[in-house]
Amino acid sequence: MTRARSIAAFAMLAIFAMAPLLVTPVGARQLSDRAKQMGMKINCMCRGCSMAAGICSHPGGAFSGPCETAKAMLKEVDQHIAKGETGEQILQAFVQEYGTQVYAEPPKSGFSLVAWILPSVYLFVGAGVVVFVIARWRKRTVQLTPSSAAGAPVISPELLERARAQASRETQD
Amino acid sequence: MPVDVFGSFALVLAFVCAVYAFGGGIAAIITRHPLLIKSTRQAGMATCCLIFLATFSLEYLFFSDNFSIAYVVSHSNRDLATFYKIAALWSGQEGSLLFWSFLLAIYVFSVLLAYRNKNGELMPYVGVVMAGVQIFFLTLNNFVASPFKALASPGADGVMNYVARADGNGLTPLLQYPEMVIHPPNLYSGYTGFTIPFAFALGALLARYPGEKWIHLTRKWTMIAWMFQSVGILLGAHWAYAVLGWGGYWGWDPVENASFLPWLTGTAFLHSVMMQEKRGMMKVWNVWLVFITFLLCILGTFLTRSGVVSSVHAFAQSSIGTWFVAFLSLIILVCFGAYLKNRDYLKSENQLDSIVSRESSFLFNNLILLVSCVAILSGTLFPVFSEWITGDRISVGAPFFNKVNIPIGLLLLFLTGVGPLLAWRKTSTESLKRNFGWPLAIGVVAGLIALVFGFREIYSWICLILCVFVASTVGLEFYRGAKVIRARSGASFVASAVELTMRNTRRYGGYIVHMGMVFVFIGLAGAAFNRDLQKDMRQGDSMQIGPYTLVLQGFDARPEKNYTAQRLLVEVLRDKKPIMMLYPEKRRFETTTENGTMVAIYSTLKEDLYVVYAGNNPETELPVVHAYLNPLVKWIWFGGVVVVFGTLVALLPNRRAMLVLAGAQQPAVAAQPLGHELAPTVTLREGHD
Repeated sequence: MTRARSIAAFAMLAIFAMAPLLVTPVGARQLSDRAKQMGMKINCMCRGCSMAAGICSHPGGAFSGPCETAKAMLKEVDQHIAKGETGEQILQAFVQEYGTQVYAEPPKSGFSLVAWILPSVYLFVGAGVVVFVIARWRKRTVQLTPSSAAGAPVISPELLERARAQASRETQD
Repeated sequence: MPVDVFGSFALVLAFVCAVYAFGGGIAAIITRHPLLIKSTRQAGMATCCLIFLATFSLEYLFFSDNFSIAYVVSHSNRDLATFYKIAALWSGQEGSLLFWSFLLAIYVFSVLLAYRNKNGELMPYVGVVMAGVQIFFLTLNNFVASPFKALASPGADGVMNYVARADGNGLTPLLQYPEMVIHPPNLYSGYTGFTIPFAFALGALLARYPGEKWIHLTRKWTMIAWMFQSVGILLGAHWAYAVLGWGGYWGWDPVENASFLPWLTGTAFLHSVMMQEKRGMMKVWNVWLVFITFLLCILGTFLTRSGVVSSVHAFAQSSIGTWFVAFLSLIILVCFGAYLKNRDYLKSENQLDSIVSRESSFLFNNLILLVSCVAILSGTLFPVFSEWITGDRISVGAPFFNKVNIPIGLLLLFLTGVGPLLAWRKTSTESLKRNFGWPLAIGVVAGLIALVFGFREIYSWICLILCVFVASTVGLEFYRGAKVIRARSGASFVASAVELTMRNTRRYGGYIVHMGMVFVFIGLAGAAFNRDLQKDMRQGDSMQIGPYTLVLQGFDARPEKNYTAQRLLVEVLRDKKPIMMLYPEKRRFETTTENGTMVAIYSTLKEDLYVVYAGNNPETELPVVHAYLNPLVKWIWFGGVVVVFGTLVALLPNRRAMLVLAGAQQPAVAAQPLGHELAPTVTLREGHD
């Protein structure tokens, strides 16, 4: 490695190594604010904002914070927490009150499980297709490559011209 | 003639011209009559000009406060700022659809003009496809959602009496924000722009147009559309950040998702198209990627306009969905039909010399982009499907999309670093070591330092390592290339890097785009560390968030023409030293009795201090200040600027190509061995793009 390359590499190392310093990490978020965490798992049911209750800013409303509905929902969450209920119990209480539309994310049970499974299915099926395609193309390449044991290869002028054109195309940029 | 009648008439004439361009175009393809080809092309251009006239007519109605027109009444008022009277055009259903036609007309006119004497075999097909798309939107403009409908009410005798209102209802406050004047035009330019590659792809397939020429012809159009789509998405995110007052910029709202889908497939196409250009591979896939991208553009417009999925973008919905479903079905049928009829035309020379090659990386790049696209699409439509199947509408919100897409995004980021450095056909072990050794080491060191400094959010940590890795690979590419030029020319390093970029704008423009994406990812990684605090404040009260102390110094009310702004005067201190004043606002719009929020942001590369005047607490009557500390957000917007810059660079012609052409006129120079002149930039790399 040349000296210039070493200097450049170390300069880059120094610059990028400083990147983490740009972020001031904070400790664990305020876990005592459990109502707010739960608020992220339920939708505000005011029918006017389509936001999670925990971040409802109710655009267009007189108050850019939780709207009255979201505020009431967060207060209700607080009451459930005071009773010592688990997160799942609290969610179920809201589903009974508002229906399944209250979920901010689909539950991992019943038909909703499909929503969670599908992305993995897409990935695995897609990866399978890519692997199949690669294998097929590789096989074709091997079949088309002339064997060295077959004696002197005969190259027609057309093939030579085609190869030249291809080489030119592939090294153009 | 009244302007509304003029506008309506222009739209009807545009429809007639489009029908002629379509029908006459088909006849021209069959008969190959030169006069017919010429007349249909001119009909296509006339269609565009008439759409321009109709659009300007509607704008004129807004500027002249013509409150006898229903659309103007619904979306404007006398006191509305001139700036927003432009934006009022696309603030509702009818105007948005006319705006779609308008932007499409710009593209169509440009294409017809640019290729009027070129590609004679292909252009009639392209013209027919473009006219077909225009017919659909002109049908909506004329017969389903006309923006020129006059206000009328039935009289006692049952006859409709035309009336005019003294003033309009005004524009939705959410749209009265500067970005709303530029965000929709950009996004729509992206949506409409993908019509052009679609028309060329379908036209080439129908015409069995030989070779890869349609790819070369459409490349710049695709890049322009992609760039507009990127800008539109980012401006939309910035609008959500600055107006909705929730401290975030991306909520995975269905309409946001809809705009993101064609961007993902468009990005996949811009990469996989190189496989066809360089190796004659993936012809079927590329054609279908273009088809799918266009379909997703129409789907996106459908989701925005129909209200089939609930969204914060609820200002322009109706039952127009049926038309879009019919159009989508028709496009799918035509695409399948064309493919089945001419699929032998798409026979590819698919061969792969090695798994460790550029070709493989493109395959995986396309896989990741498509998986992300399909996952977002199925998540967005899941509430509709769940309602059909189970009767229960199950919401799919931001937590789901974040969980699914963050790992996919990180995989994509990894490929962004790896892909460009792999050689076509086969990458040697030596090349792998040379290209990835240092970037990997730098990335790992950055990760370790981050750990030492207490970085504990796993996704953000991985993202940081990958960002450093990708930035290093891009940096090394520029460094190596510029070093060769510098050694030969003696120019400065920066001048050499510029020269390098200009010699192969596509390759180095692409690297700049990748660098922009790295910046965007750095910004996204910061979201894991967001903090917020809300407090009722009296004058003189203070609150502390991170290193900042906010002191409420007072408040005032500022009457404006169209609204009254209640403003807080918040002093920001850092280390007990005042650094600036922030003025978060709450706006009360008189005509709509709705409220708007103007967030005050103190933005640095490290973090955004984001202050919202939420309103007054009804119990205490005190103003409520909601402050957020959002790290690294500025990097997202900066990344967007870099992406645009990179795309513009990639659109420039290669300087080297021009030199070669110039040299061709001088045999002595041209006769020099190619390898000798270009060796440092071409043969040292293993066939990079």
